[in-house]
Amino acid sequence: MSDLAVAAVLAAAILLASTVSVEIGISVALFELALGVVVGNAFDLSVPDWLSFVGSFAGIVLTFLAGAEVDVPQLRREWRASVSIGAVSFAAPFLVVMAFAYWALGWNRGQAEIAGIALSTTSLAVVYAVLVETGLNRTMIGKRIMSATFVTDFGVAAALSILFLKPTVWIVPFVAASALLVFGLPRLSPWFFARYGNRVIEPEIKLVFASLFLLMWLGGRAHSHAVLPAFVLGLALSKHYARHRKEQERLRVVAFAFLTPLFFLKGGMSVSVGALWANLGVLALLFMAKMAPKLASVYPLARRYCAPHAGFTTLLMSTGLTFGTISSLYGLNAGIIDRTQFSLLITVVVLSAIIPTVIAQRFLQPSAAEEQRRTAEPALDEAG
Amino acid sequence: MPFKRILVAIDGSEGSNRAFAKAVELARLTGALLIALAVEGPLPAYAATVGEVEEVRREKDAFFGALAARARREAEAAGLEVEVDVRPGHAADLIVRFARERDADLLVVGHKGHFLQDYLLGSTADRVAHHAHCPVMIVK
Repeated sequence: MSDLAVAAVLAAAILLASTVSVEIGISVALFELALGVVVGNAFDLSVPDWLSFVGSFAGIVLTFLAGAEVDVPQLRREWRASVSIGAVSFAAPFLVVMAFAYWALGWNRGQAEIAGIALSTTSLAVVYAVLVETGLNRTMIGKRIMSATFVTDFGVAAALSILFLKPTVWIVPFVAASALLVFGLPRLSPWFFARYGNRVIEPEIKLVFASLFLLMWLGGRAHSHAVLPAFVLGLALSKHYARHRKEQERLRVVAFAFLTPLFFLKGGMSVSVGALWANLGVLALLFMAKMAPKLASVYPLARRYCAPHAGFTTLLMSTGLTFGTISSLYGLNAGIIDRTQFSLLITVVVLSAIIPTVIAQRFLQPSAAEEQRRTAEPALDEAG
Repeated sequence: MPFKRILVAIDGSEGSNRAFAKAVELARLTGALLIALAVEGPLPAYAATVGEVEEVRREKDAFFGALAARARREAEAAGLEVEVDVRPGHAADLIVRFARERDADLLVVGHKGHFLQDYLLGSTADRVAHHAHCPVMIVK
């Protein structure tokens, strides 16, 4: 199939995913992944080079957006609870999944590390949707959960960038450029955006894209990955975007209309249904290897910091989607994991977006009004 | 039987517009208090980005804010006051709970809403009629 024919099929799939997502009320990303699986397996299509390239960039844009969505002042206020819950939420499943994949499944060290990273994530977006829908995002418990999620994702981004690092001399310009952008862009952006922003040609988005491409290029030359600096760069600009919502909205439009659909379709197309079918037992075990340490490690801390909703908090911290997909695709693109391993990891990631969320919402969801009443007094005390 | 509290569910669809008009008419005839509930549908579940959720939320807030304002204007034009409440959630469940919470003695809903689920799972009106604690008028 020619590149244009593939593009036409994918464009139709993207359109279908968007419309069905609006009608059903389920995230467009899940439909893009699912349609990617259908297109990839039914038409026996492999991922063309152009899609791989655009998809890789889209993954970095997604990481940047995730960083830009962090509420830094809130994180500072709740750092003790956030760091405690977020750190164990990353470390426990990372270690358990890695050990399980290495010793029980016989995967090599790199493959086991990718499995550990991909299955240790917590999805800020999944968590955010649940909290907003119930009004819990305005409560103390909701704010703590969101901040803890950021810490977990930071752990994932750091692990992905550091564990596979095989330093060359290019590490110096990579680190220098990362530092320059992280410290320089927030200072440059008010002037740059004031002078060049609010135009249909979008120089401010081009500045962000140019920065991300630079990080990807230097990261590649340094045998590292741009995910950590992209995440931190987003974080550094989060304050700016909080004040300039329109800019963030336009960046999202570009990302969601063109880039992220190709990222998730690429992920779906790389899944082998046959391999999954042949490894259903391994799939179930990997799912347990993610869930068991998440539940066991987060629950005691959630009892301490998020009582009386420890079960709800623990289940939300067990969700995963975007960073799990990014990590798995990195492993596949870098040749660290094969297509079967990728198929297993991405399926566990998607299952972990759905199953804990459904259980938390159906059985353990606290009432926002009650929670606000319960925390009103301590919150006032803290404010005073 | 005169009604004291009429609750009408609105979502901006043609069916709900007809239901609202009928509820206004009934409230005027009976002197009942008119309450309108606009149910914002759920946010995208299992979202991949916070942006996707935030943008949908903003769109919903704008849409349902305008819907509530329109309901107030139309009721005012008919010489009535209306209490409008906008809440997020799943339509049928929320309408039934809200009706009980506000002690409504008549619930007015449109025959068909917006969503594909109506076709797959049965309409919101069907589910409300099945579970409501008070009489339900389904307006076609």
